[in-house]
Amino acid sequence: MTSLRQRLIPYWLLGPGLLWLLFFFVIPMYFMFELSLKTGSLETGYQLTWNWSNYADSISEYSTQFGRAFYYAGAATVFSLLIGYPLAYAIAIKGGRWKNLMLFAVIAPFFTTYLIRTIAWKTILDDSSIVVDALKFLHIVPEDGRVLATSGAVIAGLTYNFLPFMVLPLYASLERLDLRLVEASKDLYANSRATFFKVTLPLTAPGIVAGTLLCFIPAAGDYVNSTFLGGTKQAMIGNVIQSKYLVINDYPVAAALSFTLLVLIMLLLMAYIKFAGTESLMGEEDEVK
Amino acid sequence: MKTPSNHRSLKLLILAAMALTVSMVLVACGGGSGIDEGASNEDVPTAEGGEASGKVTISNWPLYVDPGKDGSIAEYQEKSGIETKYIEDVNDNNEFFGKVQPLFSQGDAGGRSIIVVTDWMAEKMWNLGYIQKLDHDELTTVFDNLTDDLQSPAFDPEREFSVPWQSGMTGLVVREDLAPDIKSVNDLFDPKYKGKVTMLTELRDTVPLVMAGDGVDPNESTPEDWTAAIDKLQKAVDDGQIRRFTGNDYVQDLAKGTVVGAIGWSGDAVQAQIDNPNINYVQPTQGCSIWSDNMLIPVGAPNTAAAYDFMNFVYEPEVQADITEWVNYVSPVKGVKEILEKRDPAIANNKLIFPTPEFTADCFDQPSIPGDEAQQKEIEQQFQDMLAG
Repeated sequence: MTSLRQRLIPYWLLGPGLLWLLFFFVIPMYFMFELSLKTGSLETGYQLTWNWSNYADSISEYSTQFGRAFYYAGAATVFSLLIGYPLAYAIAIKGGRWKNLMLFAVIAPFFTTYLIRTIAWKTILDDSSIVVDALKFLHIVPEDGRVLATSGAVIAGLTYNFLPFMVLPLYASLERLDLRLVEASKDLYANSRATFFKVTLPLTAPGIVAGTLLCFIPAAGDYVNSTFLGGTKQAMIGNVIQSKYLVINDYPVAAALSFTLLVLIMLLLMAYIKFAGTESLMGEEDEVK
Repeated sequence: MKTPSNHRSLKLLILAAMALTVSMVLVACGGGSGIDEGASNEDVPTAEGGEASGKVTISNWPLYVDPGKDGSIAEYQEKSGIETKYIEDVNDNNEFFGKVQPLFSQGDAGGRSIIVVTDWMAEKMWNLGYIQKLDHDELTTVFDNLTDDLQSPAFDPEREFSVPWQSGMTGLVVREDLAPDIKSVNDLFDPKYKGKVTMLTELRDTVPLVMAGDGVDPNESTPEDWTAAIDKLQKAVDDGQIRRFTGNDYVQDLAKGTVVGAIGWSGDAVQAQIDNPNINYVQPTQGCSIWSDNMLIPVGAPNTAAAYDFMNFVYEPEVQADITEWVNYVSPVKGVKEILEKRDPAIANNKLIFPTPEFTADCFDQPSIPGDEAQQKEIEQQFQDMLAG
């Protein structure tokens, strides 16, 4: 029989984390939620009036920016996956002795701050830059067009900034891929395409799920990329929240918007896990073991 | 993420989060903060003077004085023996207000003896009773040297609570090689510059100039004039005329030539011109908007004697000459030009730093938003919503 002490050990181990969550997540969340139902102004103070219209009004008024945030984050996630999967595959399977160096190269941009990296893209996508000239030459961008201050620039910035969050989980699952299964598939006369879709992809699905979540969630709340790379029609919901908090000083509506964003992301996440991350998907790897 | 049990724990986490949300709704029934009613400036104290000693903390905007070991702050510290903590924590008037308001409303200055904010914010804080009156007998150097045109601004006609730190002009900053014919604010709305024009995210900088372009005197304007000017901007945004709204970063866009005309600040133009002579400040035909950032002593400020002492120190022309040389904005102190004529003639002769009366003849004081509090909020919101596209 296990002693009481032994049974308590998991709780002791969980303790610091739970306390952290309590003080830096649950309690602030509670105050934010309470704030979102108040009315008043910074000067006169806020009173709790159960003003649910903060939610209704802000959602209807800023549905464009909510939509934009999810559209940009979604596009950035898809592009990250399209770029990140082959990249992670190359590093994990074909990397050989360059594996660590290549992984380092993926992480290296993190040694510079997020802000500087984003502002650097202003130079890369500048109207007279080589990149934009090349895009014009290829007729991807019209002759009198521009890239900076468009939705394309914001999506490019988001894709770049969140790519490592996609690559690392993908790498982790590809690295553990049992290559004997790929061989087995080929032995059973599957071509490369079938092998990829029937073996490799399902086995690395948990990495895809983790990567897309790590990419999508922060991207949806981002406001830095649209501030610097966007123009007048690219503000995301993060920009609205920022201006509500810091410029208008309308804390209740800002809190309501933040909470709405949180709930929307959570709903999307649950729908996504239901769709992509069923038990069999998450557990497949274990059955194989 | 790997095992079924992990997946179950994710589900559990989501359930827990939902349970928390529900419990919060239940807990939220209590609480609610009291109202701080009747804020006014009727009974604010006058900051006490006397022998200056001890420690002083000053909150200012970034790049507004040389904070280095050869700079003016170090010089003050050495001269006065007062331990000076100079913090650059004012990046934006609204943001700073949001940060200090919870303290200021309780009569707590958060340890700051001096803060520096723009005219309209100074007025707002004064009206809320957050700012102390100044004893002019303690500020002899300041009032001996304050330039005539800054003696009685509309928001504080007797300089009862504010002392200018630096002034500046908001006007047009133009790439003269690429857009030589931008002379008026209205030229920024010319379709031939479509997508090559920026304006400032600061409502009080951008909107009054646009208004002036339509022949409205910003200092006599009504809330309707402001709404009309923002409508005009909104249309320009919808047409793709305005590329984006910026802080100081319009200067880089001008340097690259992706933007050819911008609403911007005189001090930025002086700096930008050093790197690219084609960037020039153009005084709009309608005139410019003149503003100051002002030193204020908040209610509850510690060591107000040292605050007075510091204000007097920066109004000594020799000290101010160093500051002007470093920041390139318009100095509020007399006699600085004469000193710099000997030391640095290029600065002394720059009409953006020492504007002549003819140069600023049509300029106006940067106005506060007219109307009652609800109308002001509405105008601010309309502008922010335009920025959010």
